[in-house]
Amino acid sequence: MSPGDSVGMARLRRAVAEIEGRREAGPAGVARPLSLTRALDKALGGGLSADGLHEIVPASALDGWAATGFALALAARFLSRRAGAALLMAEDFALIEMGAFYGPGLADFGLDLARLVFVRAPDAAALFQAMEDALKSGAPAAVVGEAWRLDAYDLALSRRLVLAARAGGVAALLLASSAPGAAEKLSSAAETRFEIAAAPSARLSSAGGGRALPGPPAFAARLVKARLTAGRGPPALDPARIFRLTWRSEELSFDEPTLSLPLAAAAGDRPRSARAFR
Amino acid sequence: MATIANARRLVGVDANAARLGLTPGLTLADARARRPQLVAVDADPEAEAKLLERLADFCARFTPLVALDPPDGLMLDVSGVAHLFGGEEGLVAEVEARVARLGFALALGLADAPRSAWALARFSDKRVAPAGLCGKGFAKLFHDLPVAALGLDEAICAGLARAGLKRVGDLALRPRAPIAARFGAETIARLDALAGLTREAISPRFSPPDFCVERRFVEPILAREAALAALTKLADDLALLLARREKGARRLELSLFRVDGAVRRVRVGAGRPLGEGKAMARLFVERLAGGEEEEIDAGFGVDLMRLSCLLAEPLAPKQSEWEQAEEAQRAAGLAELLDRLSARLGPRRVTRQALVGAHIPECAVAAAPATAAPEGLRFVRHDEWDEEGDDAFAAAPRRPLRLFERPEPIEAIAEIPDGPPLRFRWRRVLREAAAIEGPERLAQPWWRRADAPTRDYFRAEDAAGRRFWLYREGLYGRETAKAKWFAHGAFG
Repeated sequence: MSPGDSVGMARLRRAVAEIEGRREAGPAGVARPLSLTRALDKALGGGLSADGLHEIVPASALDGWAATGFALALAARFLSRRAGAALLMAEDFALIEMGAFYGPGLADFGLDLARLVFVRAPDAAALFQAMEDALKSGAPAAVVGEAWRLDAYDLALSRRLVLAARAGGVAALLLASSAPGAAEKLSSAAETRFEIAAAPSARLSSAGGGRALPGPPAFAARLVKARLTAGRGPPALDPARIFRLTWRSEELSFDEPTLSLPLAAAAGDRPRSARAFR
Repeated sequence: MATIANARRLVGVDANAARLGLTPGLTLADARARRPQLVAVDADPEAEAKLLERLADFCARFTPLVALDPPDGLMLDVSGVAHLFGGEEGLVAEVEARVARLGFALALGLADAPRSAWALARFSDKRVAPAGLCGKGFAKLFHDLPVAALGLDEAICAGLARAGLKRVGDLALRPRAPIAARFGAETIARLDALAGLTREAISPRFSPPDFCVERRFVEPILAREAALAALTKLADDLALLLARREKGARRLELSLFRVDGAVRRVRVGAGRPLGEGKAMARLFVERLAGGEEEEIDAGFGVDLMRLSCLLAEPLAPKQSEWEQAEEAQRAAGLAELLDRLSARLGPRRVTRQALVGAHIPECAVAAAPATAAPEGLRFVRHDEWDEEGDDAFAAAPRRPLRLFERPEPIEAIAEIPDGPPLRFRWRRVLREAAAIEGPERLAQPWWRRADAPTRDYFRAEDAAGRRFWLYREGLYGRETAKAKWFAHGAFG
């Protein structure tokens, strides 16, 4: 089957859904936005669209890994509700500077290695080309791209990615590790832009009464840009607001911030844990 | 009666005995002398504890958060529950009536804080403290109670009595510092807890389920068919709740609250998350049909059924025939896309990662061309870490998301040469290790490189929450005198 067929299929499906006036509950959940947490969904006007371009920018040079974590968490959410594989694409230089994606760590994070394909691109042009092709094909569940040189990334290029994402019905996540703190300065056609910083995790108290143990991954996300899209409510954008998120890798979801106090600390010094930890 | 300090003493009296002036703490000989017709039985703490547990089960009908307060109390967290019974007064009346019907006498109190509810129940004839009580209202309710209402040790109580402090009000109205100095900070802490100024949590017997639905029946139901019909309705309700969060039930529990106070629990598990009410109900039907002892024993009737989902997991998306065809098409599309990318970029640039059974992190993973057949690749982790299956620790990833191509040398300061790092300087920035876990000691395979140094890995989190994977190369004192430190990766 040629890629043209699947694009045509997606278009037909969308046309049918539009005629029936049910974009929200479209078949295969293609157009159904991805829900993250209640607060974020509200700010995004219903959730993260499953066929748009989303940019993830670290808040500072040291938050690049937190931004990676957030992008991969989104990819894991997309993978959890759709069959197929996710593509992790990165420029060579980004892999050298930030470290290569590490299989066991990804598995710990909740990603299924059997459903991940890694693509290394020699330069930015090749990366964006590969991203566009992957999005257009409509085959992957999500495409994560980490670009290092962002000179070429402008309105026209991002617009092409947006169109490709829409045509294929695939979410594109662009990780701008090399532009820390530039969330406000980027100009692109992307639908949403997150600024991600690391956040102290919910630490577990250690058995010996020493320093605490690191807890599950936590992020402080700022929604810098959220575009109004058809079929969704208006986004309630407040760029100063910080969303605190904790990733639960076994549930593949972000924790809703709870009003009560965490009760997990008491479990930290069980004898069994101490043995596992030694 | 029980033997306390070498004397047979009464530990509990019933209503009749109390009317005749007998009190707990009286020696048996005295009691016999006063009332020769006294019927005394040995106290059986174990049986009493069991009875208390059964009562706790019974009370789960009012709220899922029930805690034991041994030897003779129960704590119910009724936040957000009272309106179901027509307000707090209604709830209190309902609890009292239900427990009385079982043949128990009870004293109860309801307040904002567990400690004040406890004091009300045991020492006051008032039962409900209004919400948001402070100042005068608090004084009116609590200041006249004896200091025992603070639940302090007997020694402290005796000390307070010696000092002439007999009522809660005596303490509350005095300066705090001298009291803390003389009777311990605990006294003040209890006073604050009584006033609801500090947060105290009760530890419930069962953690409340994430999702639960229940149905109360005006008339107790007896017939098996009626129970099953109600179960189907409950399962539908639960499915609706779960669907809202895109989850399915893996483990379910059905609680049947019988009129006579007994609570019957039936648990079933499913191999994959269930999203449909019908499927859940079917599991129970099969379970209940399984053997005679699993039969719903309605006894005198069931007046409350509760279906809780103990474990929920993300639901795999439903598939229709159309979607299956589409999925096959998408798989074909993916294969074609990977072929195209491999052709353009080269097969070494489009890869899948497979896990290799090796401890050394850089050898634990192998990349294989994505176009190659996926057979022979291992994707599931089979090392001892995962088999440990420890929930508290599984929450935090043990391996970093990104591994540096070469471990980057860092400067680290540790309290002792073979201890975890306190501070470390990486990429020219000094960081505090605010949280740390380790060491995880990984030795080089001796059959390959006998002389290579051992590594101690640490997961370090700095104050801002950035997480790094550090290791120290060489065992101090055995392999090296001055260990070198490296950063090997970063967590997300």
